[in-house]
Amino acid sequence: MQFTLTKEQALIQKMARDYAEQNIAPIAEQIEKENRVPDEILKGLAELDLFGMAMPEAYGGADAGYDSYVLAMEQIARVSCGPAMAISAHSLGLSAISNFGTEEQKQKYMPKSCKGEYITSFAFTEPGTGSDPKQITSTAVREGDHYIINGTKRFITNANYPGPLVVFVKDSVSGKPTAFIIDKFCEGYSISEPWEKLGWHGGVLCDVYMQNVKIPLENLLGELGNGYPVLQYGIAFGKIGMNSVALGTTLAAFEESVKYAKEKTHRGEPIAKFQAIQLKIADLAMKYEVSRWMAYRLGSLANKPKSPADFAKEAALSKVVIAENAMAAARIAMDIHGSYGLMADYKVARIYRDAIMGPQVEGVIDMQKLIVAGAILA
Amino acid sequence: MNIIVAMKQVPDLQQVRIRNREPVIEGVPYTLGIIDKNALEAGIQLKEATGSNLIVVSAGNEEVEETIKEALAAGADEAYLVLDDKLDGMESSLTASLLAATIKKIEEVGLVIFGEGSGDNYSGQVGSRVAEILDLPQVGYVSKIELDGTTAKITRSLEDCEELLEVQLPMVVTVLGDINEPRIPSVSQILKAGRKPKEILELDDLDIEIPKDKKISTLSNLAPETDRKRVAVKSVSDLITALQAEGFVGR
Repeated sequence: MQFTLTKEQALIQKMARDYAEQNIAPIAEQIEKENRVPDEILKGLAELDLFGMAMPEAYGGADAGYDSYVLAMEQIARVSCGPAMAISAHSLGLSAISNFGTEEQKQKYMPKSCKGEYITSFAFTEPGTGSDPKQITSTAVREGDHYIINGTKRFITNANYPGPLVVFVKDSVSGKPTAFIIDKFCEGYSISEPWEKLGWHGGVLCDVYMQNVKIPLENLLGELGNGYPVLQYGIAFGKIGMNSVALGTTLAAFEESVKYAKEKTHRGEPIAKFQAIQLKIADLAMKYEVSRWMAYRLGSLANKPKSPADFAKEAALSKVVIAENAMAAARIAMDIHGSYGLMADYKVARIYRDAIMGPQVEGVIDMQKLIVAGAILA
Repeated sequence: MNIIVAMKQVPDLQQVRIRNREPVIEGVPYTLGIIDKNALEAGIQLKEATGSNLIVVSAGNEEVEETIKEALAAGADEAYLVLDDKLDGMESSLTASLLAATIKKIEEVGLVIFGEGSGDNYSGQVGSRVAEILDLPQVGYVSKIELDGTTAKITRSLEDCEELLEVQLPMVVTVLGDINEPRIPSVSQILKAGRKPKEILELDDLDIEIPKDKKISTLSNLAPETDRKRVAVKSVSDLITALQAEGFVGR
């Protein structure tokens, strides 16, 4: 049992921290206000290999493992969740192609995705159907040597960037959920204006409209009528990134609170001298420690999952703890900051809005608990 | 031609805490000196401009073998390392002897680059001492280096002026921290760093013995105490006048 980082992992962690501090921190408020990550930041992150960190070298990835991916993503999210969200959603779609794609699909989509030339999306949710795959209304109808896709997908991250979209629809043959790959911005593909969200600004979510989108038969991902494993495994892999974003938020809450407690004085003493504040700092440290080891462990498990079902359980379990810890940490940080925490000049206001996103996104907390219970009681 | 960059392993200063007015080093991970990273970046840029081979040299405890991966990830082609746990806390003269003896083992050395001072003690002596031992010309406070065949065109930044020099290679330079912005290595570069060639040397290989008695003992690591002048001013113009009188503005 090892609880230490290798030298390489420590350097990857430092690399991401240095990049985030030098390049993202100075424009974090700009990302917040414009709800957009500047292209040069996405390019910079791609040059550091963050768009294909855990992907095999044979397909253009860095093959650093999902545990190293968590270390890097945590440091990016610590400074700004927007760029980390873009990479997380991208990696979700990319892992689905890596895990279920044919050799031709991998060769076609992965090298450019790993370089950040493509930014991948994963489209499951629909207006009115939530997270229930049986309720999917989007369709794929086979016509000769191609499929015609119609439907609307909701809250799709990175829908505004060119690249592959892994989409779940009901195919006309099986009548069951099936995964396909669509090239974004092909004929018949369009998107809404970005949703204005409470937090995670810069991570762009749009609705996707597919009107008679024509795709070749070879764009089927996995088996016809058997999209559920692609969905289950994909969403479980997506939680590695989501966990990292929530973990980075927890770290930011912790660090900002320690800094503020040492600087802010009351009756001539830093508030860090008061036990009421010290207890809160200890709570923050404990929440961060629990979250980080759970997040690192899930990354480590993802390098060699025992089985899709086992990994889905572990992913769900960790998501609940890490997302709720981020919420709790943000609340404690807010309490330490008092009224100043409500002000836009203080980072903790943004941390609070970012923290509340985690429990709701990519499967709400209660759904995760049902996945965990289902796996245990099966 | 080989370009040599000498680097020192130091505790990561961002993680050093102060307790009872003493730095707490225990458990702090090692990194490479801040200005040493500028020296490395200068070496990488020259390597890219001239197609030279870039070798990083360092001496220290066994941890250096891991720490040096940071330099190999950033762009050094290979490393020559003197490793011995007895080298912890060695003084500048011994460091210079070890590095000079290591550099002598490398052929076709054109340029040896040091940071102006190390990240921990900042004695600023090692570059000059190595130049003396190797009988090479040395230029300090360097803010720009260009290589042109067997000649280096060097810019020195001094307090009130810049000096432009042409120096015949081989030579030693010590560079300033603002000579460049060190690059951040990518994930792939970090993962490949461990596979780059490393020449591990022992003290016996260099025929150098560690002196039994240290010539230098550290009495204190504290910055000198300074009394504040506590000058009170009533207006901005009074403040400007006071600052001008002290020579801080309007020089």
